[in-house]
Amino acid sequence: MTTSALSLPNLSNAYDDHQEKSRQAQRRADRWLMSGTIVMGTLILGLIGFPLFLRGLVLQVRAQRAGLAVRPMVCTLLGYLVIIDSALNSIGWSLDMVAHHTLINRTILTAWGNMVDGGYFWHYNELWIGGSGAPGEKAWEIALIPVVFCMRLAAAIGFLQMKRWGHQWLIVTCWFGVIIWVGYVANMTVFADVRFTNVVFPVIGWWIYDIFYITPFLAIPYLHTVNREIFSD
Amino acid sequence: MNTASTNQLPLGTTPPYARLHKWLQRGLFVCLTALVIEGTFTVPFLLLWYGWPTLSVVEVCSELQKVRYSDDSRECLFPYPLFGPAEGAGQKTAQDEWGVQPTPRYRKIGFRDLIKFRNERLARQAKAN
Amino acid sequence: MNKKRSVDQDTRRRRALMVFQILIYGYLLALFLIQLHMYSVRDW
Repeated sequence: MTTSALSLPNLSNAYDDHQEKSRQAQRRADRWLMSGTIVMGTLILGLIGFPLFLRGLVLQVRAQRAGLAVRPMVCTLLGYLVIIDSALNSIGWSLDMVAHHTLINRTILTAWGNMVDGGYFWHYNELWIGGSGAPGEKAWEIALIPVVFCMRLAAAIGFLQMKRWGHQWLIVTCWFGVIIWVGYVANMTVFADVRFTNVVFPVIGWWIYDIFYITPFLAIPYLHTVNREIFSD
Repeated sequence: MNTASTNQLPLGTTPPYARLHKWLQRGLFVCLTALVIEGTFTVPFLLLWYGWPTLSVVEVCSELQKVRYSDDSRECLFPYPLFGPAEGAGQKTAQDEWGVQPTPRYRKIGFRDLIKFRNERLARQAKAN
Repeated sequence: MNKKRSVDQDTRRRRALMVFQILIYGYLLALFLIQLHMYSVRDW
């Protein structure tokens, strides 16, 4: 009894030590991961952010192999990918909502529209609110930027911190993503003439470009099958 | 990397879902790589397709407007006045077939066609003069 | 008894997730094919 009572402080010291080392290792990896994510989220600097992100992944894998208690790799990838996905979606639509008369938007976004999605070329900047005039498009932007993408970003950050609310809210916001895909693609199909007539790469262009935004569909199976115990309050 | 023994599984993954999580991780990585590559090459590719550097960015903007509203006199105002009206407000030249499902009738722009359009227009204007 | 229940729950969950994936990707594929069909008949 006394021997175990004597050895307990040492044991708890070793445990605290291990936890502290793990926390530091995770934080170190996260600094690289977050920097890479922010840079990749700017769209144009993607290839600069990618190596930063990979360095963070390597650091995390090393820490894991050294026996430290770091976040599971899937959680890391998922959390950061959701952040990037939200950032990229938001950048395009925020430009369309509030920066529609900047030169870069009038050139690049309408050029993108002319190439793959006529909704961002046809009668662009003709509405009093500016930006895309395609049927339904503004409604999707106004609804989704604050409600889905901002919320999903916040949830992903909580998820990366391994918080229970992060896990729960990421589930909710990823299901929002299902609604987005179902509704948005249906809207494009109903008004397909506006979206695809005399566009450079009709149909194929848009799908190839946008299919990689299906992160929520990959997230949902994981979020529903991960052991919830690993997320704390 | 993930063997059958439980203690090799990542935190949070139970044996029934090990394979699912492995493939999800790969899918996530593919999406990430694709998004990064797309993001990086979007702007350069678009600019090249639409005539940069032969045309300046403002000229590309103007040419796109001429095509969009089927009107050779439209120019891209830069910088655009901060609280000015919408650029296309009140325009009357755009070619469309209206109805419950509108159909645009602007011309298609192929690879670096904006340069061709501009040159043709300048030639026409020179001949007219 | 508990283990059997959780195994059943796991099986049900996996099946539900598979149904969800099939439905959602099936929907996307269906709309993609509809759009391709429209591309083939209309003057785009």
